[in-house]
Amino acid sequence: MATVSSSRSASGASPKRRSRATAESMAAQQRSISVSEFFSKNRHLLGFDNPRKALLTTVKEAVDNSLDACEEAGILPELWVHIEPSGKERFRVAVQDNGPGIVKKQIPLIFGKLLYGSKFHRLRMSRGQQGIGISAAGMYGQLTTGKPVRIVSKTSAKKPAHYFEIQIDTKSNNPEILNGKGEGIDLPSGPAGIKLMTEQGIEWESQLPAAPVDGDDARVTDLESGTRVTIELEGIHKRGKGSVDEYLEQTAIANPHVTIHYRDPDGNVFDYHRSAKTLPKEAKEIKPHPYGVELGRLFTMLKDSKAATLTQFLCESFSRVSPQVAKAICTTAKLSPRARTKRIGREEVDTLYRAIQDTKIQNPTTDCISPIGEELLLKGLRHVVPGEFYAAATRPPAVYRGNPFVIEAALAYGGVATAQKVSYELLLQLLDESDSRTLKLFLTSTFDGMGNDGAEKILRECRFGPRQSPSKLTTAERKRLFEAMRNVNTGDNQSMQVLRYANRVPLQFKQRDCAVTQTIMGMNWRSYGLTQGRGSLPSGPVTVMVHMASVWVPFTSESKEAIASYPEIEKELRLALQTVGRKLGVYLKKRQSIKQEGERRSIFLRYLKEVAGACEELSGADAAAVYEQLVKVARRKTAAADTQLDDRGRKVDGDEASQYGGNVLIVDTDSEALEQHLLGRVSKSSNESGEG
Amino acid sequence: MAKKARRRATPTTDAKKPDVKLTAQDIKTLDTLKLLGERVVATAESSRPPHLDIPSRSLANVKFNKSKRFIEMSGGTNRRELFNLSQARSYMQTMLVASGCKRLIEQGKSNSIRGMYYMLKHTIEGTREETFNEQSESDPIIEDVEVTLNALREELHVYASNRGSIAGNLVFRDSGDEIDCSRMGSGGYTIPSIVEPNVIEFLSCDAKFILHVEKDTVWRRFNEDKFWRKHNCILTHGGGQPPRGVRRLLNRMHQELKLPIFCLLDNDPWGYYIYSVIKQGSINLAFESRRMAIPSAKFIGLRSRDFEACELSPSVTIKLTDQDIKRAKQIAKYPWFTDKKPWQKEIEGMLKNGFKLEVEALISKDISYVTETYVPEALERQDFLD
Repeated sequence: MATVSSSRSASGASPKRRSRATAESMAAQQRSISVSEFFSKNRHLLGFDNPRKALLTTVKEAVDNSLDACEEAGILPELWVHIEPSGKERFRVAVQDNGPGIVKKQIPLIFGKLLYGSKFHRLRMSRGQQGIGISAAGMYGQLTTGKPVRIVSKTSAKKPAHYFEIQIDTKSNNPEILNGKGEGIDLPSGPAGIKLMTEQGIEWESQLPAAPVDGDDARVTDLESGTRVTIELEGIHKRGKGSVDEYLEQTAIANPHVTIHYRDPDGNVFDYHRSAKTLPKEAKEIKPHPYGVELGRLFTMLKDSKAATLTQFLCESFSRVSPQVAKAICTTAKLSPRARTKRIGREEVDTLYRAIQDTKIQNPTTDCISPIGEELLLKGLRHVVPGEFYAAATRPPAVYRGNPFVIEAALAYGGVATAQKVSYELLLQLLDESDSRTLKLFLTSTFDGMGNDGAEKILRECRFGPRQSPSKLTTAERKRLFEAMRNVNTGDNQSMQVLRYANRVPLQFKQRDCAVTQTIMGMNWRSYGLTQGRGSLPSGPVTVMVHMASVWVPFTSESKEAIASYPEIEKELRLALQTVGRKLGVYLKKRQSIKQEGERRSIFLRYLKEVAGACEELSGADAAAVYEQLVKVARRKTAAADTQLDDRGRKVDGDEASQYGGNVLIVDTDSEALEQHLLGRVSKSSNESGEG
Repeated sequence: MAKKARRRATPTTDAKKPDVKLTAQDIKTLDTLKLLGERVVATAESSRPPHLDIPSRSLANVKFNKSKRFIEMSGGTNRRELFNLSQARSYMQTMLVASGCKRLIEQGKSNSIRGMYYMLKHTIEGTREETFNEQSESDPIIEDVEVTLNALREELHVYASNRGSIAGNLVFRDSGDEIDCSRMGSGGYTIPSIVEPNVIEFLSCDAKFILHVEKDTVWRRFNEDKFWRKHNCILTHGGGQPPRGVRRLLNRMHQELKLPIFCLLDNDPWGYYIYSVIKQGSINLAFESRRMAIPSAKFIGLRSRDFEACELSPSVTIKLTDQDIKRAKQIAKYPWFTDKKPWQKEIEGMLKNGFKLEVEALISKDISYVTETYVPEALERQDFLD
C-alpha cells in the first residue's frame, strides 16, 4: 500500500511484488472511452440484447422520435413503418413520418452521433429522453450488417429533400457521410425528385393516403415534409408478446391521434387509423424544480449560470422559486442572498442543497405534462381492445422528487373470450394466415387473453397432439378445433393483461419489475368482482392500461422497460387503479343483477303457459288471454330487468354514466366488431366506431 | 310435448262424454275446481300476481282436540305465489294437478297417484324442464290440492296404491263383488286405497275386535296360526305406516261395526308413531282426522318391559340410534302423549333400555309365542296402553 502514489492522477495501480506491469506500462493503455465504443460493447443497456429485441428497439426509437417531432411541430402524425427481410435474419427497417423534417446540417449529427439531441437538457414531457436511441440503432445496424443508415428528409413542399448515407465513427463518436462526396445529395422537389428517387432506389412515401375516417371527401394529398430513416440490421421477427406488432398496436391505444401504416416482413399491411383528430395539448417546457435537483447538478448549474447573485440564480434557474423563497433558502443555508454565484464553493453548495430540501417550496406547475385524457383513453382502448365495458381515470398531477407527473388508468372488460366468438370462416382464414409452428402457438398468438392454460385446455378437448401444425389440419380436424374453441371456457383462466406506458410509449418488457405491475398485484381486486390469487395479477377478461406522463420518468434501467417504484408514484397508481376498479365493480355487480333479474323472469315466463293452460281447463277461460295477462304481470314484477336490458348495447346516457361517476363506456361487442378486430391483424381498417 | 299438444287440440272442458254420470259429489268438486281457475283468471285480469292459500300441513298448524281426542287442522295457511322464485314451479304444479283432477272427474275415471304423475308429466314448452321430475314431487302437490279445495282424495278421483291386508270374520262388497275375509287364504284381502261406502259396503260381521299389526311378517304369523278364527277377530296390517285406505277402513269398522281396536306394534319410536297416527290422526293429513282417527285404539305391545318380562335374548335387541332417541323425545312431547303417565314411562323405559324391540323378536322365543301366549295373555289381562 505504501507504494501507491498519492497523486490525483493515480492510475489505480495495485501493490505489486512481482512486476507484471508498471504504472507506466499501464498508463500507455489508459485512454478515454468514446460513448459509441462503450455502447457498442454494452448494447444490452440500450435494448439490443438479442436479435428479436433489437428489431423492436430500432422500430421503437424511430417511431418515438417521429412522434415527438410531429407533435412538437403541431402536425397530426402519420407514420409508415416498413420491415422487409433483406437476407437471413436481416431486415431493412424504414420509418417515415410527416413531421417537420430536419435541416440539412443537423441530419448527420442526429443520426450519426450518440448523445446528441434536443431533449436531454430540457424538462418537458417527451418520448425520448437522452438522445441515444436512433443513433444507437443505426450503430447496431452498422455493427451487424455493415450497412449505413439512410435518411431522407424534407422540410417543406418547395424545398429539396436531402438524402444521406451515414456511418458512425465509433472511436470519435462522429458521423461519417458516405454519399455525395461526404456532403449528401439533394433531391429536387416535385416529379423530378420522385423520378430521381426511383432511379436511385431511394424509398419515399410522397403522398398522404386518404383516411377512411374522413369519409368520401377525403383526398390523397402530397406529403409536404417529413423524414424517413432506413436501417438495415440483424434481427428476428416473431409475433406475439414483445413484438413490433404488439408495440405498434399498443402505441395506437395510447396515441389515438396517430395513424400508422405498418407493413410487416411477410408483406401484411396493418393500418391503425387515428380516432382523434386533435393533437394532445402541447406540453410546456419547465425549469427544474429545486427538489428534483441533485447536488452535482446544482454545482454545475451554479458554475454555468450567468446570474450575478445567488437569489438571481435561484429565481432564474428553477421553477416556483420567488425572491422570497430564494431568500428563505439563503437564510437557511446561512448564505447571503447577494452572494456572487461564481464564488460559491463546494461546501457552500452542499449547505445550499440541504437548505433547499428543508425549505417549503410550492409544487411545480403541471402544464409541462400532457396526459392522454379520459375520453381519449376510452377511445384508444376501445379501438384496439374488444370488450363490453371501459372505464378510464386521469389523476390530478402529483410530484415525485420535484418532477411533476400524472398517472392515468383505463380498463377494458371483455365479455366472451375472443376465441369463443370466432366464426368458422374466420378461423379458417386465420389458420391460413398463421405462421405459427404449432397449434398452441397459433392459439396463444392469435387470440387476446389466450394463455398457455387456455390453449392446452382447447387442444386437450379436441385431442390434438402438442406439436400439431396449424397449416396441416384436415377439414375434419379444423371443425374439431372450432368446436373445441367454442365449448371450452378459457375466460376464467386468463389473467389480467397489463399495458404499461410511459409518456405514451408502451413498455413491453420487465413487467414484473415495474411499479405498475407491482401496484396491481398489491391491490385487492376481489372487491371489484374479479378473482385474484394471493400476490398475483387478477384473472378474468380484463385489460388494464396504465400511463405515466412526466417530464422525467424514472426507469429502472436505460433501456426504458420498467418504471421505478417511488412511494408517490405508487400511491397515484393505486388511486387511479382503484377508481377504474370501483367502476368495474359497479358494472359487474349491475350485470350480475341484470342477469339474475333476467333469469328470474325467464323462470316465471317458463311456467306461465302451463298455468294459463290449467286455468283454461279449470275455468273455461281463454288460455291465450290469461297468458297475455300473466305475462304483463310478470313483466311488471321484473321491471328492473327490463330497463337495464334496454340500456345494454347503447351508449350510456347521462344518467347511467353518472352512476359510475362518468368516464365509462359500455358496448355490446357484436360479432362484426370482433371480426374486424381479428382481421385487423391483417388490415386494420376500423373506423371511428370508438364513438359508439 | 305430444301430450300437451293433444290436450290443446281437444279442449276437454265442455266436451263431456254423454255416458259419464256425475254424482252429486262430483258436481260439487267440479265447482270448487272451477272456482280455483276463475280466481286465477280474475287476479290476472286485474294485473295482480296470483297466489294460492294452502292450509299448512305442519306440526305448527295442528291442534289436539282434547274432547274429540284427535288432531285437527288449524286455520294456518301457506301462501304459494306464482311470482316468487322458490314457489313458481310448485304453483304451476298445483294448477296442473287441479286441472288433471278435473279431467278425471269429467271422464268418470280414477287414477293412482303414480298415474297422476305420468298423466301430468311433460316437458315445458321451449325448455328442457319437466313439469314433474319424480313422483315424490307430485305426491305432496296432490295433498296440497286436497287441503286447498277441502276435497278428499277420492273426491278428486285419485287413489294411492293398495297396501295392507285384512282377514277375519267379515263379509263386505267391494265394487259389487262380495268378499268374505275369512276365505282369503294365506295372503288375505288387500285393502284398497279407497274404501268409502260407495266402494266397500259391509254385509256381515261376527268378529268381536280388530287386531292391527305393523307388518306383513307378523300378520302372516297370526294368519297362519288362524288367530282370528280362534279369537273371533279381524286381522289387519298396514305395511308399516298404515296408508289412508287402511286407516279409513279401520275407522269405518270401528264406527259402523262397533269393534274395538288393538295394535301390536314394534317397541320403537316408529311403532309409537304408528299408534299415534291410528289413534289421533297424522299431522300431514290432519284435515282427515275426523274420518280416520280412532281415539279409543289400544296399544298391546311390544312394551319396553317385555325384554325382561318375556326373557328375551339380548341378540334380538336393536341399539337405539341418535335419530331414534331424538324422535322418541319428540313423540314424548306430543300434546296427546304429554299428560299420559304410562306412555311417558313407556318411552322413558325404552330410552333407558337403550335398544328397541321388534314384534318379530318374540318369534325367537317360540315360533307361535306371540300368537299363542303374548297377545292372548295381554287381552285376557286387559293390559294395554291407551
